[in-house]
Amino acid sequence: MNHLLNLTKKELRELLTPGAIISVIVMVVIFMGVGTMIGGAMNDVTSASKIGIVNGDEGGYWSEFAIDSIYDFYEAAYNLTPEEASEYIIMLDSPFGDNEQIAKEMLDKGLSSAFGIVEGFTLSIDSQIQTTIEEYYIFSNSGLLGTASTLISSTIVPWVSNCISVELVSDITGPAPAEFMLNPIDQVSAPQYTYIKGNVYEGVTPIEISSSIMSQTMMVPIVIMMIIMVIGNMVISSMGSEKENKTLETLLTMPVTRTTIVGGKLLASAIVGLVYGLAYLIGMSFYVGGITSSANGVNLADYGLSLGVTDWGIIAVMIFLAIFCALGMCMILGAFTKNYKAAQTMMLPISVLAMIPMFVTMFVSWGSLPAVMKAILFAIPFSHPMMVMNNLMFGDLTLVLEGLVYLVVFTLVIVLITVRLYKSDILLTGLGQTKAGKMARAISSKGKKR
Amino acid sequence: MEDTLIVNNVRKTYGEVEAVKGISFSVKEGEVFGLIGPNGSGKTTTLRMISTLLRLTGGSITVCGHDVSGDSDAVRKVISYLPEDAGAYRGLTGRAYLKFMAGFFADGEEFERMVSKGIELADLGDRIDSKIDTYSKGMARRLLIARAVMPSPRIAIMDEVTSGLDVINAYETREIIKNITKGGVTVLLSSHNMFEVDMLCDRIAMINEGRIVLTGAPEDLKKEYNAANLEEVFVKAVKG
Repeated sequence: MNHLLNLTKKELRELLTPGAIISVIVMVVIFMGVGTMIGGAMNDVTSASKIGIVNGDEGGYWSEFAIDSIYDFYEAAYNLTPEEASEYIIMLDSPFGDNEQIAKEMLDKGLSSAFGIVEGFTLSIDSQIQTTIEEYYIFSNSGLLGTASTLISSTIVPWVSNCISVELVSDITGPAPAEFMLNPIDQVSAPQYTYIKGNVYEGVTPIEISSSIMSQTMMVPIVIMMIIMVIGNMVISSMGSEKENKTLETLLTMPVTRTTIVGGKLLASAIVGLVYGLAYLIGMSFYVGGITSSANGVNLADYGLSLGVTDWGIIAVMIFLAIFCALGMCMILGAFTKNYKAAQTMMLPISVLAMIPMFVTMFVSWGSLPAVMKAILFAIPFSHPMMVMNNLMFGDLTLVLEGLVYLVVFTLVIVLITVRLYKSDILLTGLGQTKAGKMARAISSKGKKR
Repeated sequence: MEDTLIVNNVRKTYGEVEAVKGISFSVKEGEVFGLIGPNGSGKTTTLRMISTLLRLTGGSITVCGHDVSGDSDAVRKVISYLPEDAGAYRGLTGRAYLKFMAGFFADGEEFERMVSKGIELADLGDRIDSKIDTYSKGMARRLLIARAVMPSPRIAIMDEVTSGLDVINAYETREIIKNITKGGVTVLLSSHNMFEVDMLCDRIAMINEGRIVLTGAPEDLKKEYNAANLEEVFVKAVKG
């Protein structure tokens, strides 16, 4: 039997235990559930919500005008006819000023926000004295998204105020000049031009492009970081366990080259890493989809920012190489562990190396980084698959190719170091008896004496 | 009979610590040779060097004509090493473990024969299809010995093979070792259990502080030192 296949199959059996598979499935289900839940909450926030109105100026011209303009708002914002809007705009029976009663009625009618048109509202406006519209809210401990629907009131009041302004100015100047005087610059229908990758596009802004790119690429660094941490932990723990059980000692005396042993371990772990990555990607896409479903995304392909088959191939290769690098680093660290317990602490440096590029690439672009940070980011192999989607979209092929070459070289060096380590005594004796180990012990004992 | 294993002036240092200080001995084909001595005397280090796990600081080791330093791949094809307190992959069944190990030595019909031999030697009945982490220490050791013997190595190297086993399991293990030598396998074992060595070994080498103190057949050594057992021989040889 092919030795590499034999070793890979054994490693896969060890890594893909029922417990590990179940935990991945549970994680995917959790992400899907949370994504669906957030998506639902986001829809609630962006769809029409009920508001209550307490009119303390009943019969007044301007209070009736304000209520009519709220109907106009529902028509403009949610495309609702006055009949449909009347299901959302609830006139409350409670007397103006009795806040306790208003709150009780809001609770009874399931309202989270209401307006109170103050007494003398019409008189104040007619007298050219500024007036107010009171706001009532029901606070429930339902998180940030749960309270977001109350924000509607802060949108409606300025709308009503503007409608009254237009009406007041119209009385003096006529309807057309009133609109003009209040809004001399029409920014809503103004054309917007944005230069993207050598072309000028109309009707799109950088923020729309950025948010669409973000919604598609933000999960990649998170998924890569998660794979590295989960699989790295598995590999280091497996090394610790092999040493503790002395299975490694037996394996090293089999008629198989050390390169094959290292290759088998790396290949199996990388395959598991890809399986986990795919699972995380599915879970995360539901999660991110839930967050961004209501955002006004633009079709990136219309602006020459889509990814082709070759691009996806490059991304897959880079992710695979980055996982390979991480696993190689874990095997090197794992070589110095004595047992399963000690192995757990070895993951810290790898986790830090995975987290740095994740946070940087999520919030800052490569071009805006200072030179030192660029050098650090480039040196960390995990950065490249995290940045590659953006770079491919914007045609920054130099950085992509440099990253690819760097990853290949890094992977080869890591594999060579790992094989060399597997051929040395260190794997069995640890660092304890070597010069480096003695130096470490000497430093540690000096520290203790102090 | 020709020498299957030749250990010539072998030294091993860990930093400034010299664990093995120029030891020499040879083992003939089909012989059971015991390396005995107290803890830390250099037995395991010597076995690990013979098994290609550790590099030699000095001297040479030849296994079936292959030099362990220059031709370690060839050495690994003719040896089988069972470390002290060795374990197996706990997530695998006994059968899967034997199949995994047999995969390094053979394929096709030869592979199937080897696995069948391993299952027979392990003698675990239906439990061969149970996960190894459900095995008792004795069952696990039987599986490991079966693994070591299954590929019919020229030399089986066993470090403290009965360590930690109860009387029955230790007895059964010794019986397996006696039986495998009937098939012409050379056995090199280490132990600090002098009684066990006396029963099993054709010849022994006593090692103390990294040096071979004496070599010979147990009966000859007992006569030479006028001792009732090997323990007494060892004490007299070391303390003079």
